[in-house]
Amino acid sequence: MNEEQVKVPILEMKGITKRFPGVLANDHAEIELFPGEVLALLGENGAGKSTLMNILIGLYRPDEGEIYVRGERVEIHSPRDAAALGIGMVHQNFKLVPTMTVAENIILGMTELPLVPHLEEVNRRIVEISDHYNLQVDPTAYIWQLSVGEQQRVEILKLIYRGANILILDEPTAVLTPQESRELGKIIKLMVSEGKSTIFITHKMDEVMAFSDWVRVLQHGKVVAVKRTADTNPQELARLMVGREVLFRLEKEDVTPGEVVLELQDVEARNNKGLPALRKISLQIRQGEILGIAGVAGNGQRELAEVVTGLRSVTAGKLLINGQDLTNRPPLEIIKAGVSHIPADRIGMGAVGNMPVADNLAMKGYRNPPFSTGEMLHPRRILEFARRMIDVFRIATPTPQTYIKFLSGGNIQKAILAREIDACEGLLVAVYPSRGLDVGATEAVRKRLLEQRAQGRAVLLISEELDELMTVADKIAVLYEGRIMGIVPSSEADIETLGLMMAGVTPTE
Amino acid sequence: MRIVFEKRESISHWAVVLVPIISFLVSLLFGAILLLASGVDPLVTYQAMAVGTFGSWHSFTETLVKATPLLFTSLGVAIAFRMKFWNIGAEGQLVWGGVAAAWVALFWSKSLPGWTLLPLALLMACVAGAIWAGVPAALKAYLNVDETLTTLMLNYVAILYAKNLYYGPWRDPEGMGFPGSAQFPAAAWLPRITGRVHLGLIIALIFAFLLWFAFNRTRWGFETRIIGENQTAARYLGINIKRNIVIALLISGALSGLAGAGETLGIAHRLQQGLSMGYGYTAIIISWMSQLNPLAIIFVAVLMASLLVGGDQIQIMMGLPASVGVVLQGMILIPMLAGGLFTEYRLRIVRTPKIEEAKA
Amino acid sequence: MKRKFWMFFSLLTVIAMLLSACGGSKATEAPTAAPSKAEPMKIAFIYIGPPGDLGWTYEHDRARKIVEQKFGDQIAVKYIESVPEGPDAARVIRQYAQQGYKMIFTTSFGYMDPTIEVAQEFPDVYFEHCSGYKTAPNVSTYFGRMYQPRYLAGIVAGNMTKNNNIGYVAAFPIPEVIRGINAFTLGARSVNPDVKVHVVWTNTWYDPVKEREAAVALLDAGADIIAQHQDTTEPQKAAQERGMLSIGYDSDMGKFVGDSVLTSPIWNWAAYYEQTIQNALDGTWKSHQYWGGLKDNVVQLAEFSPKVPQDVRDQVEAAKQKIVSGDWDVFCGPINAQDGSVLVPEGQCMSDGDLLGMKVFVEGVEGTIPQN
Repeated sequence: MNEEQVKVPILEMKGITKRFPGVLANDHAEIELFPGEVLALLGENGAGKSTLMNILIGLYRPDEGEIYVRGERVEIHSPRDAAALGIGMVHQNFKLVPTMTVAENIILGMTELPLVPHLEEVNRRIVEISDHYNLQVDPTAYIWQLSVGEQQRVEILKLIYRGANILILDEPTAVLTPQESRELGKIIKLMVSEGKSTIFITHKMDEVMAFSDWVRVLQHGKVVAVKRTADTNPQELARLMVGREVLFRLEKEDVTPGEVVLELQDVEARNNKGLPALRKISLQIRQGEILGIAGVAGNGQRELAEVVTGLRSVTAGKLLINGQDLTNRPPLEIIKAGVSHIPADRIGMGAVGNMPVADNLAMKGYRNPPFSTGEMLHPRRILEFARRMIDVFRIATPTPQTYIKFLSGGNIQKAILAREIDACEGLLVAVYPSRGLDVGATEAVRKRLLEQRAQGRAVLLISEELDELMTVADKIAVLYEGRIMGIVPSSEADIETLGLMMAGVTPTE
Repeated sequence: MRIVFEKRESISHWAVVLVPIISFLVSLLFGAILLLASGVDPLVTYQAMAVGTFGSWHSFTETLVKATPLLFTSLGVAIAFRMKFWNIGAEGQLVWGGVAAAWVALFWSKSLPGWTLLPLALLMACVAGAIWAGVPAALKAYLNVDETLTTLMLNYVAILYAKNLYYGPWRDPEGMGFPGSAQFPAAAWLPRITGRVHLGLIIALIFAFLLWFAFNRTRWGFETRIIGENQTAARYLGINIKRNIVIALLISGALSGLAGAGETLGIAHRLQQGLSMGYGYTAIIISWMSQLNPLAIIFVAVLMASLLVGGDQIQIMMGLPASVGVVLQGMILIPMLAGGLFTEYRLRIVRTPKIEEAKA
Repeated sequence: MKRKFWMFFSLLTVIAMLLSACGGSKATEAPTAAPSKAEPMKIAFIYIGPPGDLGWTYEHDRARKIVEQKFGDQIAVKYIESVPEGPDAARVIRQYAQQGYKMIFTTSFGYMDPTIEVAQEFPDVYFEHCSGYKTAPNVSTYFGRMYQPRYLAGIVAGNMTKNNNIGYVAAFPIPEVIRGINAFTLGARSVNPDVKVHVVWTNTWYDPVKEREAAVALLDAGADIIAQHQDTTEPQKAAQERGMLSIGYDSDMGKFVGDSVLTSPIWNWAAYYEQTIQNALDGTWKSHQYWGGLKDNVVQLAEFSPKVPQDVRDQVEAAKQKIVSGDWDVFCGPINAQDGSVLVPEGQCMSDGDLLGMKVFVEGVEGTIPQN
């Protein structure tokens, strides 16, 4: 406690309140951040973490409250103001221009630059920073050539380059492989040791424990707990966050697998750049069976999901659903065969942002009664259905008529899940269904998947979290460079073997 | 002190109502400056404009006459825009509608019973307009050809072809060689309701309500909205995007075709100059201002028609050159369009921010 | 939210109607402001172009000013410019009729149908349509025998050309224009049988850029004099820039362009307007079809450029006298058609009906008429 009194906070947010129509996003939230420390912001989806940080970097304005930086009261109206104060944020969706180089992206929008920037000087400094923090960023590479993890490091480099010393990272590990997450941890440690400060938004307990000095837990826009990381444990944090005890183990009933629902026979497909993405994939999923797909992102998971749902054409092989050959048939026929799909890209593919939640919930069912008779749509029935789904799936939305884009990421995901599970009649394809979700929501998603299994549906679960696969799936297939390295029953799987297979090493038994 | 332009976090209900009203007042103020500079009293001028458009039953009917083609084309444009298909070819589709209607009226009157003439002429106008819009739609859907260029270019083809017809092969043999087709037989005239207001207005209003219903209460409307908002999602949801684009554009073109038919069968009673008056372009502004809502389009089309008709008054009553009227129309439109920005953004005056000190 | 948006527009419409309601009373009060004298007769002119075109509309507007001057407070005159032909014209004409105008001049051919249409609704209003052929009890037509001064201009051009190639920038292949080309050609060949008149169609009355391009094309092809039937001075300017001569039209284009314009067949509408307005004031106005010539002064030849020598002026004067006397007119035989066949035999003259429907060129014209 002594230390705390000596140190002066570099950043303070006091009594921050922010209202959105129908929602109190922040309710007198308080933040203190000390130089050279990492503050973890923990909270469920929609708890107000992102809103609070968006206020800090000037994207929103608070209705009430004050912000102090280095003891001075400040008004922040734009990210530019925030940058001038040394505050920078790495968003969940990166703000990079794919067709420009790393260096160009880094200097883009900088005001204090000469009209014709001295690019070699810029490159030199980028390399300098990159080497110092071990970011491994090539200033001349184009963004589209980079992996997600590399792009994230470019975002971090951009902030450092522009002199930020308060870095906000919004769920940085959600898109990273375990190795990349570990690397990120090292980078944060190094920055902090040099006196920079970091605010780290996350749901993941292990990261809180590993990276942070302080934790603040948000619930319904309020800070409900302030803990020194060293003085707490994951169970306590989870309880504080959700407001109840969380089951970390799920009950998995015994289900006897039935008929084969999905069958792939030597399927090959290409990615968007025209390169082979799937090679000779053969697999089967039966009724009441969950097949998990493990693998590092970018090894064909996306293409696999798209092939199964008819969104990507197959260059060789066969796709059978309930024994019916649906190879290269339009998506509608596959939907009609009873296939549901929870896509990886929720905003871009799974939902229509500028339409109400109710409409989004009806987007699969609208073709059939009771939502429509012939061409006629029945808005009232859609609304009734939406109310029920909102209730059952606990979707936090002001009204069913609110545009879905105003919902938090987790609630959008719940809406998609609700729609797809309701429409599912044979096969559910779930791609990263719990990515970015909080503990409570993740638990709910997994329960729903197991429910589907219990009801005799086949589930194709693509996930990057091995413990999720091991708790939920019956079998796990590992994808590496578009090939299935092997399929193991989850009861026999262990993390070591799966990890090796994900790295491309064939298990020798 | 400085002024900042901030994005609103949510669209305020007040802004939706107040912003257009304030924009309209600002528009009048802008116009007033122009009128003062031209040496006339703005109040008198605005009164003259209002009198000329709504002042008497007669002038109101003339405003409705002008609103009829605007209504048809705006509805047509709205269907296309709803799918983010930038159909700026309503003008050409209108011209083809006029030509097709004229074709029936001129050349089928002898071989067909009189009562069939009008329905057939309207139908052919729909077909012609639909084809003219359907070609760019198919090119876009199946070959990904940019529709802004194709629709725009086809306008000129249509306009010049129509011109060729009434200067050339369709020229009235009894017209002493003057341009313009012969007058249509009376059986092919659209019945008039009052003044020069013809049946076309009723048809247009019916379509406005039908479209509103289709947009909000049918699967087709639901699908087109999804396609317009998010094509990736539409594909994922199993919606046939290509077919929907083509169907929507066929309807879009058919409506513009009806606009042309209304002008020839209802007003001019012959194919002649004055068919292409830029309605297809004005329609873009109208449907935009109406946020693609078919019922709002009715009101905005009448408002826009009154602006066009009111422009005459600037000359008739105030004795100003025609060009002042056109400039005035432009000046009135700009704040109305720019006003939409303020429903999403707001201006805020900020006093002495502490950022400078904090930096130091 | 969208609902609110269109509710607002209905509101606006209502406001506009209210505004017009209060405006309405004012508008009706205004004319009664001067009760001491007899009400001036309200007269309106509908123009196809702006008065600044220095051509067709300029001439009508010049005549308007003359009659305003002459009749003083007996009449109150308003005009509207740049009214497109077609459906819009009917609205504008009707607006005047409604506002109590007693006499409306519609000064372009394309206003014919709208004029007739509106005239049926307002039997007490006198309508005067320029250049058309449809009349009604309250609709008269008026036009001028422009072919007569064109013939005279042809005499000037036929004398002044050095290489016998004259260019003619023509608007539309309609009888009025064809008649003018033929008269001009006959005039030129009456003094110089080797003359060829080369015609280029622009298919526009008022398009400065296009008309200039057409003139330039003719100059490039070797024409040394440019004549025209358009509403702008651009062909004249193009010729002057090349150091070539030209013949104007509509108005005295020499005033605006310079001495290179040898002369111009011009309109003098005031001669007709004064007479028909007087009739209307006297209450003796009757429906008529007026087609005045050089004799009536409604068409004239403008002042010669100093470049025109005296002997040419004398030739023109002689021909003019012959026409004014009424013994002879331009389209009296023998005249051959473009293909060499006899168009008008010796001893015969074309009837007005034939003149108004003229569809073929005479011998000496190079160019074609698009046929239906």
